[in-house]
Amino acid sequence: MVSDMAPDKDRMAAQLFLQALFPLLKVVLEDNRNIRKKFEGVNAKIQFVARDDREGDLGACLSFDNGTLEVVQGICPDPAIAFKFSSVKRMAAMLAGKPALVRIGGFYRIGLIFKLLSLLMSLTLLMPTAKPKDPAKKRLKVKLSIYMMAASLSRYNKLGDPEINKWTGKQPERVYQFSVTGENDIAAYLRVKAGNTQAGPGRYTKRKPFVHMQFRGIDEAIPVMLNEINMVEAVDKGYLSLEGSPEYARDLGNFLMRIQTLVMG
Amino acid sequence: MAEGLTWNVYDANTMTQADIYGDVLCLLGEKYDRIVGLSADLAKSTKIGKFAEKYPHRFFNAGVAEQNMFGMAAGLALSGLIPVVSTMAVFTTMRAAEQVRTDICYQNLNVKIIATHGGISFGQAGTTHQCTEDIAIMRSMANMTVVVPADGIECGNAVIACIEHPGPVYIRIGRGFDPTCYADDKYGFEIGKSVEIVPGSDITLICCGITVLQAREAARILKESNGLSVRVINMHTIKPLDTEAVRKAIAETRRIITFEDHNIYGGLGSAVAEVIAESGRACAFTRVGIPDCYSLVGYPEDLYHHYKLDADGIVEKVREVMGKDFEEEENWEDGF
Repeated sequence: MVSDMAPDKDRMAAQLFLQALFPLLKVVLEDNRNIRKKFEGVNAKIQFVARDDREGDLGACLSFDNGTLEVVQGICPDPAIAFKFSSVKRMAAMLAGKPALVRIGGFYRIGLIFKLLSLLMSLTLLMPTAKPKDPAKKRLKVKLSIYMMAASLSRYNKLGDPEINKWTGKQPERVYQFSVTGENDIAAYLRVKAGNTQAGPGRYTKRKPFVHMQFRGIDEAIPVMLNEINMVEAVDKGYLSLEGSPEYARDLGNFLMRIQTLVMG
Repeated sequence: MAEGLTWNVYDANTMTQADIYGDVLCLLGEKYDRIVGLSADLAKSTKIGKFAEKYPHRFFNAGVAEQNMFGMAAGLALSGLIPVVSTMAVFTTMRAAEQVRTDICYQNLNVKIIATHGGISFGQAGTTHQCTEDIAIMRSMANMTVVVPADGIECGNAVIACIEHPGPVYIRIGRGFDPTCYADDKYGFEIGKSVEIVPGSDITLICCGITVLQAREAARILKESNGLSVRVINMHTIKPLDTEAVRKAIAETRRIITFEDHNIYGGLGSAVAEVIAESGRACAFTRVGIPDCYSLVGYPEDLYHHYKLDADGIVEKVREVMGKDFEEEENWEDGF
């Protein structure tokens, strides 16, 4: 008999989606005028929740206030629509783009559901299989990917993965910067200090990055995001410059691979 | 190095800074006939004797009369010559302080002072011959340029540069057979411009003199043992200080330690502290040197170890500072 109890890795994968990925929906709304237009004037809460008898139900709520999105972790009262999963594993599977059974409360608000699906579908740009041709979509893919790198690493640490906890625990205050040359808004950083982490958009200006991974441009970043070439090849081809400690840059790459394996199953 | 120089980097391992400056000065004597040498019965010890042997008609031994010697140098400079004066740091900066200040600096005269036996490099000679106050004294004299070379090679560069540099210059060197820091002289020495000899982002060590090489070794140890990225700056010119390099270190590493063979008051550490205070930015900061006392008497290597100016001491200090919190920035919420 297959247990429906949530193994830690399933809960962690679901938490990574809710806590690192969902906040990036705000970036999509800011950058994609068509999707933003769809949500103009929308006032509604959309709940995602998965049952977890062992550690407590897991959820996050997309709260729209006149089209402006706020991601609230936890369970919100009176959502207009609720996506309810019988396990965190099923929620993680669905958010990873795999088929999964879901019960939808508020199904009658079909218009809002379609809007929401268009928003969620935009996140498929992050998938290694998504190869956008449109320059705006390519740009958004790179931006989301760079944001996701920093956000997922920080969240992975906060969620208690022992390996990354050990790695961050030994470090003095350091900044790991990700950026694209010539694209000021496509940058994100991970700040680390004695086990704590903080991810944020933009360039950290209060200290020099300990490691700075800088892509030469959007077109040079895309092959790496698509896993067409690895980081070593990217550096060799001049697509990516690595300034700072190569050992720690390698560690970052390894943790990102672990996260990808965890969330994609 | 100057054309025709007869020693190379291998020889430098067996030569003191003073030996090298003596040789360089001899070569410069060929190029600049306005260079004259002066000493106060210490020509042999300070190695300006090499210049005296080669150009006896351009060298003056003032006897044990340092005040007179600096007065003579001022007069020679006023007549259009370039006097290079060499004696021990302790006699230059204290016994003849008034003459250096009023006769030379006040008139902004083109006198080059090469002071040997600086700091505790002559530790075994005792307090009378140690000199851990000279940088502070010279730094406070208007018009004076203060240079503290890291090794013999840099000393050669400094001597060459000071001849072309207008106004009074104080070059402070040691006595001992210090190991060389630089493989050659082609690293872009420029008065007033520091040299980043090791890049790093966790902490910056700003050093001068013998501590530069020790800090470089400490940075290697800290990288291997603690994974720390330690920046090492050779701040060979204490005045004018390369404030841009200090500000960059504040902004980029937020932690600075200075290391110098000098009292912690008034020297390199104080000069860097002034820049940090005026920057208005938070920065963990520590000065390491002789902790406001008269040094113990002993061999330099033992004293450097005692005062944490050798590689082991520097490693210890860095680990200590890395453990300090210097700023309340404890918001760890992600910003997405």
